Amino acid sequence: MTLREIADLLDAKVLCGDERLDGVVVEYVAAADMMSDVLAFGQPGFLLVTGLNTPQVPRTVNIVGGIGVVVVRKPVVLESTVELARVLEVPLLHSPLTMFEACGKLYARGLKPINVGVKT
Amino acid sequence: MSESRLETLEGMKLSNVFLDSLMQIMNHLKIKEVMSKNVHVLTPEKSMWHAKELMRLKKVSGIPIVNSEGKLVGIVSIEDIILALEGNYINEPIERHMTRNVVCLKPSDNLKKAVECFERYGYGRFPVTDEKGRVVGIVAKEDVLKGLLQWFSTVYTHDERRSDVLESEYFYKSLLTGEPLDKRGADFVMEIGYTDINMAGVVAARLKEFLISKGVDEKLVRRIAIATYEAEANVVIHSGSNGVVYCFLGQDAIRVRVEDYGKGIENVDLAMREGFSTAPDHIRELGFGAGMGLPNMKRFSDKMVIVSEAGKGVVVEMLFYRDGT
Repeated sequence: MTLREIADLLDAKVLCGDERLDGVVVEYVAAADMMSDVLAFGQPGFLLVTGLNTPQVPRTVNIVGGIGVVVVRKPVVLESTVELARVLEVPLLHSPLTMFEACGKLYARGLKPINVGVKT
Repeated sequence: MSESRLETLEGMKLSNVFLDSLMQIMNHLKIKEVMSKNVHVLTPEKSMWHAKELMRLKKVSGIPIVNSEGKLVGIVSIEDIILALEGNYINEPIERHMTRNVVCLKPSDNLKKAVECFERYGYGRFPVTDEKGRVVGIVAKEDVLKGLLQWFSTVYTHDERRSDVLESEYFYKSLLTGEPLDKRGADFVMEIGYTDINMAGVVAARLKEFLISKGVDEKLVRRIAIATYEAEANVVIHSGSNGVVYCFLGQDAIRVRVEDYGKGIENVDLAMREGFSTAPDHIRELGFGAGMGLPNMKRFSDKMVIVSEAGKGVVVEMLFYRDGT
């Protein structure tokens, strides 16, 4: 699935990276609120679903080599978060769904979980 | 040797140290960190009078001229305006009178490059453009000066603060090999000079960029960046002080050393345990404090040593083998 299709599926607003959405194909998805958990993921190349809306999110995703972020559950995403995502070129989506709904919809469309804690 | 001569020599030594560190900062600081992002631009069909008014209202001395796609096509400076007033063509379109061959900087250029440009071309400002030629910022001399002053002010406060804990001997030798450590030989040095948790990771991000620029394997860079990020977050959350990240590029391995001068860890064994955390609630709300910091650092590095005592800061040294074993 492309990020564009995912944005549609999750009824998400594109906060940055709109021009790249069609080009990013998502195969793996991870969901976490703790950035240390995200850092512990053993593989790059995943889409992160998170309830956190701070600048730490794009920064962490940039460090671990994630391909995009969907912020769920939160009514707003901080402007500083959007700004940093833009600088780091991390596509950022904002969905009104809860974490449970968003993950459920993505799972139902055949997206896969990542390996947790395997050193690559 | 007379006393005054000795003083001069000491002074020279001091100024050399100063120049060395200044050069280091100039190499490390990037244009994107000092440039003004709020750039006032005009399109070529506007009149020179528009440019003059914009300069007056916004108190700037140069206006980049862009086409409809935001790409830089020229620049108008105060000198151009003066000439337009003298030559009585202030109402003519910018297109006819702008300077077309504009010298630009890239966001990833370092300060050294900017200073070289100021010296070589004598202009007061340089537009900063991205890879598509779009204007993303502008750098004037005062931006460079501000960037440097800010850097020095953080170095100064941190020097004042760390003097208490620096007596510990482990600040002067390698934890992995026990050898005396010449930190001036580090290939990458960057201060963790902030206390705002929202900035945690900026040093790791910079190290990542640096390692990629050195052609280090991507997977290895990822491991190093993650481990350094965790160490950096620890310094910000727990030390109550500042820290420094050093990176040494060896032939077989890359070594990262993170030091802080803060309150230290009372029980290192306990801190190494997964899920153990002393982070306060407001930190947890930001997504940290899962008790995975040290375990993650251990997991992603090949060797890791951590030394600390209560009140004596923390030194972490991690080794990453280039062949990935």
